[in-house]
Amino acid sequence: MKTPWHFMTAGDWLVVLFLLTAALAGIAWVAAAPEGTRVVVTSGEQTLFIAPLDQPRSVDLDGPLGQTHLVIDEQGVRITRSPCPRKICISMGTARHRGDLLACVPNRILVHIDSSAEEAPYDLLSR
Amino acid sequence: MTCSAVDTGELTRARRQVFLALFIAVAVTLHLFETLLPTPVPWLRLGLANIMTLVALYLYDGRGAWTVSLARVGIGSILLGRLFSPGFWLALAGAIVATSAMIILYRVAGRRLSPIGISAVGAAGHALGQILAARLLVIQHEAIWQILPLFLFFTVFSGILTGWLAAGLLEQLKQHPAFQLTPGVQERLCK
Amino acid sequence: MPWNRPLIIGLLVVLLALTWWRLQPEDEEIRRSQLMMGTVVEIMAGGQGFDKLDAAVDAAFAEMARLDKLLSSHNPDSDVSRLSQSDHGGDVAAATAEVIALGLEVAQRSDGAFDLTLGRLKSLWGFDQETPTVPNRDALATALAGIGPEALSLEGQQVNKRAPQLQVDLGGIAKGYAVDRAIAVLKQYGVTSAAVNAGGDMYLLGQRSRRAKHPERFWRIGLQHPRQKDAVLETVQVRDRAVVTSGDYERFFEQDGIRYHHIFDPQSGLPARGCQSVTIIADSVALGDALATAVFVLGPQAGLLLLTQYPQAEGLIVATDGSLHTSPGWAAYQVTP
Repeated sequence: MKTPWHFMTAGDWLVVLFLLTAALAGIAWVAAAPEGTRVVVTSGEQTLFIAPLDQPRSVDLDGPLGQTHLVIDEQGVRITRSPCPRKICISMGTARHRGDLLACVPNRILVHIDSSAEEAPYDLLSR
Repeated sequence: MTCSAVDTGELTRARRQVFLALFIAVAVTLHLFETLLPTPVPWLRLGLANIMTLVALYLYDGRGAWTVSLARVGIGSILLGRLFSPGFWLALAGAIVATSAMIILYRVAGRRLSPIGISAVGAAGHALGQILAARLLVIQHEAIWQILPLFLFFTVFSGILTGWLAAGLLEQLKQHPAFQLTPGVQERLCK
Repeated sequence: MPWNRPLIIGLLVVLLALTWWRLQPEDEEIRRSQLMMGTVVEIMAGGQGFDKLDAAVDAAFAEMARLDKLLSSHNPDSDVSRLSQSDHGGDVAAATAEVIALGLEVAQRSDGAFDLTLGRLKSLWGFDQETPTVPNRDALATALAGIGPEALSLEGQQVNKRAPQLQVDLGGIAKGYAVDRAIAVLKQYGVTSAAVNAGGDMYLLGQRSRRAKHPERFWRIGLQHPRQKDAVLETVQVRDRAVVTSGDYERFFEQDGIRYHHIFDPQSGLPARGCQSVTIIADSVALGDALATAVFVLGPQAGLLLLTQYPQAEGLIVATDGSLHTSPGWAAYQVTP
């Protein structure tokens, strides 16, 4: 069978180049995001758990399917055990940058990283 | 090939329906086959079923492409037992965005793009559609857009691969008499 | 193509809607603070158009500075200082009259738990000075002579004093009134989302504006835990509401192991002992200020009773033993954890 290059027109190359550039620029932009300071775990509208990123710990989070196990260490935060069927959340690896996201859709657990300065649980303090 | 008293328009329509059904069957098979393949990362798929959408687009038209892609999502989901599950809506959104993008591009660019270019855009559209649906239905958080660039990066290659396979298949199919006969040719043959 | 045309048109409409939603310009948010009224005043305003917001915030600060001049007891030319110096009272500005009218109303309904004439008592304790001290009994009695809900009366813009020695102190209520006026100015400028915070007395206008990755939502206000410095007792969510907290932890000193704070019971002249803190959510900061003080002085039971007279105000009371008491409508503001 003929190689892909045989079929590809100049327009094809242009399209591929454009998509690759967009993807790489996006990846660079995401990777350049500053490191976050806080791990926030939510399930639907509920916030289940908030912890600083710089303190190692592990925690079990309850979802509809059971417990999802979360580990925070020097590398960042990752999911190590989950009752979901396809373990996609575990394969998402480690999150460390602000805005990074780990999601276990079946168990409705959403882990994301932010900076506490940017998003405190409240806007102002009344005292 | 028999011609006799059959109306040629009717014949073309029937032929088209039979082949589209065949394409759908192949697409569903490819889709199921793909879910059985081990992948390094579970949410990455090659999108081999898109080969059949492309073939339908090139051999017939946009409507044929819609038929194949939507039927593939529907039947595939029924067979996998996840009709109307979140995964179904994601797949549907991916298919809708991908198919619209491919058809529009095909009409705009015509022969300036081969199936590979169309397929790459379709794959990117598929990723975009899936994330859009996930943002609206599953993970209601803007942070989900952060995985789009990574998705896009992989889809460029999977898009080239499926486009290449589709281009090869199209080359073979176009040599086949079943797809060479335009109505005019048929009439002449039937005389 | 009998059916794919409407489908494609539908898809385009959906796509267009989504693009529009994504491309909607993000709101600006400006945040500025100034030192005034003896505290840090912070104004946050969100919306479209930086210049408009900037001008609005400038005007709001200017209005607060004007009111500070009028209502501060530290300014010798203020209405408040002139009233304190005069024997029988006198004419005051419309703003001053409005503050006094509101203060007198709460003073009457709370049976004097809130009082506008504690000027002498406050200077006796000296919380404004470096070293506050506990006054002796006689000094307290002298400072309290003649005070009460009837000590001042108002006819139009004419304030009458019952006794010449009365020192008017609008204290927190003036600050609250200034915040209310700053909000009114922001509204005049067309601002729809803003927060004005004068040392914890605040008004939240509209909703918190759209920012990066965050949709518009109600303002979330953390309430200071009265005994744990860095902890939040509860978080409430509000829009178009004032949130005011009075606590015994704000300004206090300890003498012989007893904690003396700055919220006085007008009956005894001593710090009120019924509460650790009181938070009021009301439709104006001035009212919230007055009610927070009154409820703090009255204590949990009588305080909640007073709040039943004000349907536009809800309260959370932390009693001296740390127990929580809330008015019936409070739960509507609570953020469900």
